Formats: sequence, structure tokens, C-alpha cells
Amino acid sequence: MSGPNEDNNTQLSSHIFGDLLDSIIVDVASECHRIAKLGLDRNLEEEEEEMRLSAQARARVADPSNSSETNTKYVVDIFGQTHPSVATEIFECMNCGRSIAAGRFAPHLEKCMGKGRKARLKVTRSSTAAQNRYSRGSPVSTYSPYSNSTSTNRLSNGTPSVAGEEYSNGTYEEPWNKT
Amino acid sequence: MKHSVNRPPTPDGAEDQGNEPTLQEIINIKLIESGEKESLMELLRERLIECGWKDEMKALCRSYVKKKGRNNVTVDDLVHLITPKGRASVPDFVKAELLQRIRSFLMSAAL
Repeated sequence: MSGPNEDNNTQLSSHIFGDLLDSIIVDVASECHRIAKLGLDRNLEEEEEEMRLSAQARARVADPSNSSETNTKYVVDIFGQTHPSVATEIFECMNCGRSIAAGRFAPHLEKCMGKGRKARLKVTRSSTAAQNRYSRGSPVSTYSPYSNSTSTNRLSNGTPSVAGEEYSNGTYEEPWNKT
Repeated sequence: MKHSVNRPPTPDGAEDQGNEPTLQEIINIKLIESGEKESLMELLRERLIECGWKDEMKALCRSYVKKKGRNNVTVDDLVHLITPKGRASVPDFVKAELLQRIRSFLMSAAL
């Protein structure tokens, strides 16, 4: 049956429905706002624009014609400074004592300290020279003019040898006295 | 003397002003307390998603954001944008279903 009560009821229901709908609308708006602010929305046009711009920037950086315009030797870094391609500070080599440029230091060390063939020879020659210096101490004494005139020549280590022509260290010596 | 000493006395409450809670308020309280409001909201949300209403609203928001720029949009903007369109575009059968539910609640609430 219809009556004021029913109308009231209907009005009330509509009002309540309106309330519910408003709440839902605010929720949807808030959600869309969040998506927009966080950039979560895969909005193709915007992304295409951004990608286009970034591709442009990348092309500008990689463009060879661009870098030939600027001096290829001097590249500008993010602070605006330029550096020469070979480091120019000068150091003293701890091995040979020479003054070397920092940029040439590594190759110099290679030669100086032994990676190369020549350097290794240099090292062995000098070390064997040092060894020979010490080992010649004993053969030197056999050269003494005071060796006896007997037919048997004694070596410094005491081993008698025939005709004194051969020494244990393998060097040939002319005998002091003729047989 | 502190200013707070001279402030007007705290009103004793609504009863003094003769403001009785309106019918609407009573019903609202009943709705919330019984949990019916929550159920109705969920039902309405579900129906609106099913019929594509939510997508329409999101599309409106997206085009608005694109026009204005991401960082120039407020929630308020979006609410004002959607409200008139949103209210008008609820499908009739959805509205009917919800109204039906509400009415039966009102009857069962024995007013």
C-alpha cells in the first residue's frame, strides 16, 4: 500500500543509495589519483613521448658526427672537466730510478722489471756476473806465480792431475813448467 | 590571569539544544552497527565493476590526468569530475537491486 510512509521509505532508500555511491566514487577517484601520481598507469602516449625523448638523447650521445665536432682528444666529464688521454703526472721508477710519466708507467715497468725478453736477459746477465765475481775467487789463486816447478801441478783443492793440464773447473791452463 | 579562565562554559551536550538525532542518523547508525552498510557497499562495488561503470570512471580520470599533467591533479579534482557523470550512469538494474535491499532492511529494522 502506498502512503506517506512508503514515500518516506523510498526517499530514505534513495538517500542511502546516494551515500553509498558517493563513497564509492571517492574511492575510485582516490585510486585513480594514486595511479596517476605513481606513474603506474601504462599510458601509452605519455610513455611513447618519454621513450622518444630518451631515444633522442641517446642518439645525440652516440652520434659519431657529434663527437667529431668536439675535440676527440678531450672528452668533457659530468663536472665539465677535460682530461688528456695519457696521464701526465711524473713518477720515479723504483727499479731503475728514471722519471716516467704515469700514463707510460705500466709499459715501462714491463720492460724494466722482466716481462720482456730483453729485460730477462738483462737480469740473468747481471746476476750471473755477480755469481762469477764470487766464484772466480778460487781459480784466481791457481794463477799465483808461486806454483812449484815440479811436474805435478797441484790444484787449489788438492787433487793431483796429470801434467797439470787440466783443472777440475774445466778451464785449460798452460802448465807453468814445460815437460 | 589566563585567558582560559574567562572562556565560555563547555556546553553540556546536544540534549540542552534539543537536537534529537534525525531519523536518518538513527538509520545510519543501525546500518553500520548491523554491518548491513558494509554488505551493501560491497554489493554495489561488485555490481558497478561487473557492468563496467568503474572502468568508465577510470577512463575519465585518465583522460583528465593526461590533459592536465600527472602532477597537477588533486583527488578533489577527480571527485568533482566523476560525481555527476558517475551518478547518472549507474545502470538501472543495479540501482533497482540496491534499492530493494535497502528497503527490506528498513522494513526489518521495524521503524
